[in-house]
Parts: sequence; C-alpha cells; structure tokens
Amino acid sequence: MHPTLPRPTLRSSVPDVLGQVVRLLFLDYWLYTVTGIIFLVYAISIPTFLSSGNLINILVGASLTGIAAAGFTIALLAGQIDASTLGVVALSANVAAVLFQKLGVPFPAVLLLTLGVAALMGLLNSFLIIEGRIFSLIATMATSGVYIGLSLFITGGSALSIGRAGFSETLMARPLGIPVPIWLLALTYIVAYIVLNYTKLGMHIYATGSNYQAARLAGVRVKSILRLCLVVVSMLIAVVAMLAMARVRTSLMFGVTPSAVNFGDVVIAALLGGVSLYGGVGKIQGTLIAVLFLAVLTNGLLLLSLPPAVAALIKGSIFMITIIVDAQRHLK
Amino acid sequence: MEVMQPILETRELSKRFGFVEAVKNVNWQVFPGQVTALVGDNGAGKSTLIKLICGAYLPDTGEIRVRGQQAHISGPVDAFKLGIAPVYQSLELVENRNVMLNMYLGNELTRGPLNVFLDKKRMYVESQRVLGEIHARIPDVRQPVAKLSGGQRQVVAVGRALVRGGEIIILDEPTAALGVEQTQEVLRLIETLRSNGKTVVLISHNLSQVMEISDWISVMFHGEMVGTLRRDQVSRADVVSMIMGTKADDLAMA
Repeated sequence: MHPTLPRPTLRSSVPDVLGQVVRLLFLDYWLYTVTGIIFLVYAISIPTFLSSGNLINILVGASLTGIAAAGFTIALLAGQIDASTLGVVALSANVAAVLFQKLGVPFPAVLLLTLGVAALMGLLNSFLIIEGRIFSLIATMATSGVYIGLSLFITGGSALSIGRAGFSETLMARPLGIPVPIWLLALTYIVAYIVLNYTKLGMHIYATGSNYQAARLAGVRVKSILRLCLVVVSMLIAVVAMLAMARVRTSLMFGVTPSAVNFGDVVIAALLGGVSLYGGVGKIQGTLIAVLFLAVLTNGLLLLSLPPAVAALIKGSIFMITIIVDAQRHLK
Repeated sequence: MEVMQPILETRELSKRFGFVEAVKNVNWQVFPGQVTALVGDNGAGKSTLIKLICGAYLPDTGEIRVRGQQAHISGPVDAFKLGIAPVYQSLELVENRNVMLNMYLGNELTRGPLNVFLDKKRMYVESQRVLGEIHARIPDVRQPVAKLSGGQRQVVAVGRALVRGGEIIILDEPTAALGVEQTQEVLRLIETLRSNGKTVVLISHNLSQVMEISDWISVMFHGEMVGTLRRDQVSRADVVSMIMGTKADDLAMA
C-alpha cells in the first residue's frame, strides 16, 4: 500500500508539494533517507568506503543477514517469534558438513537433504507451538537447544574443515560478477514481496498474525499457515548456514563463527524495518532496507577503526528504541 | 397472518460446558425476511446458542434445521455455505488491512495461474457494490480498517457477512460500544437488510432498540428458550419480566 498523500491544507500549492516531499522523505520513508545520508557521509569521509571490494563485502554480509531476516519477518508477520535460528544454523551447517565432507555426498544432494532437515526442524517447531500450544518464543528457544545438541552429536563435538572442492566454490561463485549470496538475497525478497502483497496466501499470513481468531472464524486455515511460515523460516536459515559455512570453509560450532552472520542483527533489522513483534504488521521491504542500513552503518564504523563497543552500543540503542516504538504503536 | 416456514430452526438443542448447561433443550424458530431479537440476561445462553448455529461450537444433542432441511454444521465454513453469517461482538476484523480485504477475508477472489493471485480489481468493484446496497458511508474501501469509526467497522463486518452470501445475518450486540449517532446508523442498516430480504437475528441488551426494530422477540433464561413473541403483541415490561424469569408460562407462544 502506498503512503497516503496529506490532505490539502490552507497553504498554497508550492509549499504544499514541498510539504509532501518532506513527509515522504522524513516520515514514511525515513529509513531510506537515513541510509542514504549515512552512505553519503561515509562516501565523503572514508576513502576506502566506495571501493568495489568494500561495497561487495557489505552486500555479501548483508545478504546473509538479509535472507535470515526475510525468514524471521515472515514468521513474525504470522505472529510467531522464531528464536531457534542459532540451533537451525548449527544443525543445518553440520548436517551439510558431515554429508559433504565425511560422507562424500554430491553437492546437489547435500543441498536438498539439508533443506529437508531444516523443514523437519520447522515442523518440530510448529508442532510445539500449534499442538503443544506453547508460546513461539519459548518453544523455539527449547528446540534450539535440541538442535545445537544434535549438531554437536553428529560432528563428534569438533569443527569440521571443508577441504573437499565443490562446496565453497559453488556457493561463493560470481555469476555475472555478482556473488551467489546477493542473487539469493534478491530472489528471496522479490518472491516474498510478491507472495505477501499479491497472493491469497500473503493475505492469510497477515490475517493470521494480526488476528488469529478472526482469521480462524473466517475460515482461514490458520494452522497450515503457521506451519508453512515456520518451515519457510527454517529453510531460509539453512540456506544462510550453508552460505556462511562456504565463506569460512569450516562447520559452525554452536551455530556461530566470527564473520559469518550476526543474528542479533536479524531481529534488530526486522524491528527497525517496521515489523511488529505482535504480529501481522510490517512490510518485507522495510526489513531489507533496515538490513542494508545496519550493514552500511557497521561497515563504516569498522573502517573508522572505532572500538566494537561503539557499534554494540548503537545497535543496542536502536533495538531498545524500536521495541519501545513498537509497543506504543501496538498498545494505542 | 399466514403461517410462515421458519428459515432457521433448532430442536431440543443442548450444549453443556462441564457442569454448566449453557443451552438446554432449545426449540427456536426464526422466520425469513424478519428481524428476530434474541434477548436474555447475562449467562442466559444467547451467545452459546448463536455459536452453535454458526459452527463455532458443536452441539451435544438436538438438531439444527435450515430451510426445512436438517443441517450438520461442524465448522464456520459449513455455516457460511448455508447462508448463516455471524457478525461477532468483537467484529473480528484485521486492523491493518483495508476494508475490501477484510470483507473478503477467507473468501478472497483470485485470478491467474492456479488462482494464486488476489484479484484486487474485482474485489474492489464488488465490495463497493455490496456496500452500496446497504447504503454504507465508507468513502474508500482501500483505507485500513483501523481508521474507521465504530459504526463504519460494524458496516464492514456486515459487508463481509453479505459478501459471504449471508442470508441469515446474526448481529451480536452491534451497538454495545457505539454512541447515539452510530447506533442510529446501525439501526438503519438493519432496516436496510430487512428491506433487502435478509433475515436478521439481533442479540441485544438494549430493549428500546429491540422494541423499535424487531418483528419477533425471543427470550432466553438460564439456558432455556422461554418463548418467542411478536413484538407488536408484547410490552416492554412483559419482556423484562420474561428475561428475569417471572411470567414464563403466561405469554409463551410461537
């Protein structure tokens, strides 16, 4: 839906157009404006910022966070907070690592099997939430622990180095000069945008998240919608896991590894992008711009050699402010 | 007065929750094209009876007949198919979606391959038409429901019932949270529905409204159907005493 234009005021038309532009720039699309401003500031003040190497670096990092954030957003729109991301990453990555490195399974099969395992994780999550009637955040925190345990179990507790060719090369390839993660980011958001805004499924996702009872009484298959969204999140996270693993060429211990992906950013991005923790509110493109904003911001701070505390403090503050705004908006 | 066939009927309908008999052997008849008010004190069983008819609950015993045929209503969708369309007191709207999408919730018009895409154009046209038929004053069906007034939201909820093919529109306390002007809007809406040939069941605590607009008044007391009377044959005082459980036998008739 487009932002509505302001109603005509008593002023004459030229300042009126200006008023509309200001409103668009600073109210409706404020995050785009802020990102643009930060980008310009960095471009002017940091010499290495605009190099193609750096920009690609930003985008690749953003792609991993972005794909995960897309999944998180979809679940959130359906009213579910999926906190099992670390667990899903850990188990997906280790399953892929064991299949590829230890068992010599060909890459396409590894891809399919890993996505299949992720789907199963999504189904377990939804089983606890739907049939178990457990609040999503708690249920997924619990399953996360199980997934991490399983991931350690299958690798015998130690990290696995991906020496065999075919994994990193495929996932880090650059068709048309653009790295695979960026292609996947674009694909994810385009598909998500179309589904959420133009299809019956998308409408039902929003309805389920916004007013589960209303949707149910109107005949929407709410349980199927929840299951679908939870499976989709997990599968997208598995994609991110494999991309992260390809980047560092080693399996991910406890689902994390330096310079892989920061899941705190995923949550902050969704909130900053306008997705509500209470469900049924938000636009997928908001998440994307928030991901880019955070990526650009962090990159600049890094290039300025500022201590990590600065980034941490800024992100923490953003997080805090967005949850306050979200709560106020919801409770009104 | 000619004998009309009821469009909706319950026979010995019962529902209990644990030890509480919410609805006890209810025999009820609703006549087509008329406004039937369902009244009773809190806990009399009105909401439960309605939920049984709308498929939100399953009855323990008894049967529901629609247009003379026995009906098995196991869920909201079964009720919709029979033309029974509830408008719950909470309205059950999706706040941040727009009017037309709310009217088509669960029933969206689709187009394209595999009917996957929303047909927003057709829904726009149709929702405008339906709202026009009930003289709704909603300027733009593309604005989010959250921005509407209480009376307008009521209209959207009724619009959804009509879009769903509702012939028997059940309104649960439609004016409970509304001010004077908006209440009048809703009463006019009920009048319009009746002149469009719809059957209206109105649950209300507001006896002056009930006396003003209904053709029939059905009174429940402690889960039982005390009786159904023609509005023009009963006084407000009579209704009140039936609601309170006195004078149960004198006036009961169908």
